[in-house]
Amino acid sequence: MTEYVIETENLTKKYKDKTVVNNINMKVEKGKIYGLLGKNGAGKTTTMRMLLNMAAKTSGKIILFGNIPNNNTYRKIGSIIETPGFYENLTAEENLKIISKIRGNYSKEKIREILSTVSLNDNNKKYGDFSLGMKQRLGIAAAIMHKPELLILDEPINGLDPIGIKKIRHLLKRLSRENSTTILISSHILSEIENIADIIGVMDNGQLITELTKEELNTQLNKRVIFEVSDPKKSGRVLERIGLQKDSDYKIKEPDTIYLYSNMDLRDRINEIFVKNDIKVKGIIPCEENLEEYFTRIINQETELAA
Amino acid sequence: MYNFIEIEFLKLKRSKIFLLTLLGAIFPSFLLFLSSEFGEFTETISMETFLSQVNMYMSLIFVVLLFTIIMSYLFGREYNEHTLKTMLTAPTSRKMFLLSKYAMFLIWILIISMVTTLSAVVFGFMAGTTAFSITVVTDSFMQILLSNMLLFLAFTPLVFVTLKITNLVPAMIGGAALTFTNMIISSSKYGIYFPYSIPYLIASGEILEYTTNCTVSYIIIIATFLIGLTLSYTYFTRNDIPI
Repeated sequence: MTEYVIETENLTKKYKDKTVVNNINMKVEKGKIYGLLGKNGAGKTTTMRMLLNMAAKTSGKIILFGNIPNNNTYRKIGSIIETPGFYENLTAEENLKIISKIRGNYSKEKIREILSTVSLNDNNKKYGDFSLGMKQRLGIAAAIMHKPELLILDEPINGLDPIGIKKIRHLLKRLSRENSTTILISSHILSEIENIADIIGVMDNGQLITELTKEELNTQLNKRVIFEVSDPKKSGRVLERIGLQKDSDYKIKEPDTIYLYSNMDLRDRINEIFVKNDIKVKGIIPCEENLEEYFTRIINQETELAA
Repeated sequence: MYNFIEIEFLKLKRSKIFLLTLLGAIFPSFLLFLSSEFGEFTETISMETFLSQVNMYMSLIFVVLLFTIIMSYLFGREYNEHTLKTMLTAPTSRKMFLLSKYAMFLIWILIISMVTTLSAVVFGFMAGTTAFSITVVTDSFMQILLSNMLLFLAFTPLVFVTLKITNLVPAMIGGAALTFTNMIISSSKYGIYFPYSIPYLIASGEILEYTTNCTVSYIIIIATFLIGLTLSYTYFTRNDIPI
C-alpha cells in the first residue's frame, strides 16, 4: 500500500473575500520529491504555510504522516519559507545553536558538520553581514540539521550561484535517495524542478490544475518536427494530400516553417515527398517542449478556460 | 522554560539594545550626580534622598520609554528579522514562545532595577551624599523593583500593540507620549487612575496621600494586565505567522 507523507483534502484558505488556495487535493508519496510550480500569487507559499501550521486553513483537511498533525509531527519536518530568518547579531553557528536547543538536540559537532555540508564552516561573520546565497545556505542547514523525514522548501535556491544550486540539488537528491526524505519543493527556476522532482504539481489561481509524474510529463510535452521549407503553403497542400490535417497534424508557423505534430517517425518519407514536389527542405529539426513551455501552455489554457 | 530563557539570552549576544538599556538605567543617577556637581543642591543630601530622587526620575520619566524599547525589541524583532517563522516551525508552541518572551521581559526589568540602584549608590557616593546604610539601599531597590514589576503588569496592552504593529518607531512614539502623559498626570489627582503612574505612586507610598481608596489603583493595574495578556495571547496564538 502506498504510504503518503502529505495528504490534503479540499484544503482552502481565504483572506476576507479572496480565496488564495482553493480546494487543493494533494498527495505526496514517502521518499518522493514533489515539485510545486506556479506563477507568483498562485498559492504555493500559502499551501506550504498551511502544511507547516504557519497559517490556519479556512477549510479542508491536512494529514501528515498519516495523521492529523500535532506538535510532534512538526518535529519531523524541516522547512524554508521564502527567505530564511535568523538573528542578525549572531553567527551561523550561534543561530543553529538556538534552533537545535529549541529542538532539544544540541550538539556542537553536528552543527559544525552541517555547516561544512553547506560550505559555511569557519565563518565568524554575523548573519547580518551574510550574502543572500550564504543566508539561503544557512536556511538549508537549519532545515536539514535534525534529519527530518519531510522537507518543505519554498524557493530554496533563491540567490544561490550555479555551483551552490548544483550542490543543493545533489544534497536534496541524496537525502531523498539515502534517507527516504520526502521533499516538497517550489522554485521559479523550472529547469531545477524538472531536474529534481519525481512528481510535478502546477498551481494557478489557488488551484492545483495538474499533477503528473516525470514519465507522464514526458508524454504530455508537445513533441514536434520542424521543417524549414521554401514554400510552406505548398508543403501544407502536400501534407493534406497524404492525409494529414491542418492544425491537428501540422501548422504553418513562420514564413518558411511547418510544425509537424503527427507521423513524426515518417519525417524521412515526408522529406522525400517534399523534394519530389519541388519543395526545397533547408532543415528538419525534431524537438519537444521544455518544462517552461509546457508550464506556459497549460497556464494559458487554464486562463482561456476561465475566461 | 529554563531552555527558553537560555535561548532568549543567547539572542541578546552582541546586542547593542541590551547595552543601551543598561546605559539608560544609569542615566538618571548620572544626571543627578551632574546636578550636584553644578551646585543644584544647596546643602549636602543624604543617600536616602539621592536614591529616592533617582527612583522618582526613573519611574515617572525614564522607565516608560526604556520599557517601550525593551518590549518592542524583544517582541518586535522576531517579526522584523523574520525569525518568528524559523522559531515557530522548529517547532515551538506559540504559548510557550510568548510566555518565554514575557519571562525575559521580567528578567530584563530585574536587571534594569539592579543597575539603577547600583549606579545610584555609586553616583551617590561620588556626589558626596551622607548617611549611607545597607537598609537604605535595600529599601530603595525594593521600591524601584516593585514599581518596575507593577509597570510590567501595565505593559501587557503595549505588548499586544507591538505584536500588531511590530515596528520600533510607533512604539517609540507611543512610549514618548506615555512618558509625557505620566509627567503631567502623576502629580494630579488623576494619577491614581493612570496605569503608568500608579506603579510609582504605590511603590513610593505616595498613594496613601490621596483621599480616594487606593484599591481602585490595584484593580486598574490588574485589569490592565489581564486585558493586555488576553489580547496578546489571543492575537499571537490565533493569527498566521508572517513570512
